[in-house]
This record gives sequence, structure tokens and C-alpha cells, in this order.
Amino acid sequence: MPIIKVNGKNVHFQELNPDGTETVFMLHGMLGNLAIFYFQIAPLLAARFRVILYDLKGHGLSEKAPEGYDLTSMAEDLIALMDSFQLRMVHLTGYSYGALIALKAAILYPVRFKKLAIIEAPNPCDEEPLEMISAYKYNKEALSEYVSSRTNGSLQAKGKRRSAKDNRLHDFLFTETSIREDMHLERSFFYGGSINGILHKTLLIYGQGSDCLADGYALSYKMTNSRLVLLEGDHAVPVQQPIETALCLERFFCK
Amino acid sequence: MDTLIQNESIDDKEIFIILKQFISEVIGEEFLEDIGITEDTSFSKDLEMDSIELVAFSEKVRSHFGQHIDFPGWLSGMDIDQMIQLKIHDIIKFIQQCRSSK
Repeated sequence: MPIIKVNGKNVHFQELNPDGTETVFMLHGMLGNLAIFYFQIAPLLAARFRVILYDLKGHGLSEKAPEGYDLTSMAEDLIALMDSFQLRMVHLTGYSYGALIALKAAILYPVRFKKLAIIEAPNPCDEEPLEMISAYKYNKEALSEYVSSRTNGSLQAKGKRRSAKDNRLHDFLFTETSIREDMHLERSFFYGGSINGILHKTLLIYGQGSDCLADGYALSYKMTNSRLVLLEGDHAVPVQQPIETALCLERFFCK
Repeated sequence: MDTLIQNESIDDKEIFIILKQFISEVIGEEFLEDIGITEDTSFSKDLEMDSIELVAFSEKVRSHFGQHIDFPGWLSGMDIDQMIQLKIHDIIKFIQQCRSSK
């Protein structure tokens, strides 16, 4: 597996079309991994761009880490990875938690990014996910029910082995890391003006039925150089509409 | 195991044995002992392979058979239902197609 050392941790990455002249970096969401883009969205983008995907720390095939899940640390990992590839400026795409990292990276390191594509960024002031994480030790099923309710049960049903594997990831992230505390400190991220200062050309992609849709409208209001596109689906829109998502991204980055 | 094999011909049975080894490395021998794996075994329903395991598996296939085995490109043409129904014999067929068109 392609592994690279980033800020002292082993990071699993995948690179498509290494000869592409412009590069798109893609960041997955919390509890996910790079595969959300790898099989359908990234190959379509790779017809025009060099595409680099990686598993965030503690996720997928990257090394586990007990702390550093705040948006600033995650953005620093992204910049360190770009430096390893000797890339000064790239297009950036993020989904959900990965979209929050993308926004933070654009705020902290504006000159390193050309255009931003933000997919289903949730307002981290929402207490419900944090309460689910807090309650996880006592009620593991509640988390699965919560995830299922956000995606209208549209994601694939899991068998015993997959459920056990997912539980191991949840056990690790929610009982052995600082992820809950780190995200708790990000509650005011959508307020205070820093997002208003993002001047990059930005595409916002949300599902028409997503419970984060209001957050998409809020971002489109705050980010003067943004455009909001709604696709059929909910919070899992890149899984539900991978081709449409890829086409939106391709058109946006090609312009 | 992930050594590059490019030029000599290889039959479906040999590819199946190699793929079975890769699957064992990705999802663990313990689980495989409980199910009888055949060419008709599906990646999702029978093996319960998740997407990141499929990425690891496709990496092993490319390392072994060559980078022209473009899994992401091949799978990008499928919808989610087709991907879920993928069976080992579909992968064998794809590898043979890639090898013959190289």
C-alpha cells in the first residue's frame, strides 16, 4: 500500500493520473475513508487532473492517533502532505468533516489552494453528533441509528464481520481519542467571520434532502465567491450520486 | 506475494488461487475458514468486504499483475448495485481481459 510519513504518522494515500498538470486533493468524512472517492468520483476526475486521496489519521488504512482531530491539526496534515508531494497549489475537495478541514485549510493557508469544492459541510455547532459520541460507551446502537437516520437507510446493510469492524473503529475513535473534545472546540467555526474571509472560488454541493442543507445555504450566504448546487439525495450524496458529483466537480475545476 | 507477473500465460484457476490468497491477506484467514470460497463468491454479500478492503485488494492485484489492471477505472463504469454483486470470477475475467489486450 502507498504509505507516506506525515507529521510523524503513516498515512495511506492513493494517486491517480500522476502526470496531470493540475492536482485535486480529496478529503473524506468522519468514520469514512478514501474509498468514498476512489472507485467512482476520482477516476472520472483523473481523466483531466492528477488526483490525490488519503485516509485521515485514525481512519481507513492510516495510522491511529490518540489526538489531533481538530480542524487546524488536520489542515496542517494536509499541508505537510502537499509539501511531501512538492505541490505549492492545488484544488481542494472535502466531504462532511473533510469539508470542514478544507474550509479551515483555506482560511489558514489561502495561497495553497486554487478552488474549493465543499460537499455536505455540517455546521459543527450541532450538539446531536457530539451527544451521540458522549453516549457511545453506554449506547452503541444509538450511533448506528443516528447515521442511518441521516442517510435515510440508503447505505448498504452490513453483515456481522463488517459490523464488528465498524464497531472497532467507533470504539477506537470515540473512547480512545480526543475526537469528541476536539470537535466540541470547533462549535463556533461557522461564526466569527473567518469563513466570510474565504475568497476562493467555491462550489458547495448538498443533497436536496440533507439535514445539513441549511448549513449549505448559510455557507453560500457567508462565502461571496461561492455557488450552491443541490443534487438528489441526502447527506450521503457522493455515495448516492457519484457520477453527478464527479461531473459537477469536473466542470467546476475545469472552468 | 505481491510480485509482478506480466508476460507468461496464466489460467483462471491459477488466478483464482492468487486472488484467494490476496483476499485472505486483506480480510484475515479466520473469516475465510468459515465460508467455502469459490469463483462464485461475492465480495460484498459473502465476503462482506468493505470499500477500503476493496482498495487494498485492488492494490495487491495491480502490484502482482501490473499497473494496467485499472480497477478504479473499471469500477467507475458500474453503479453501486453492480459493485455490490461483483464476484471473484468477474475479477478473473477482468484480469484476463487486461492481460490479453496489453
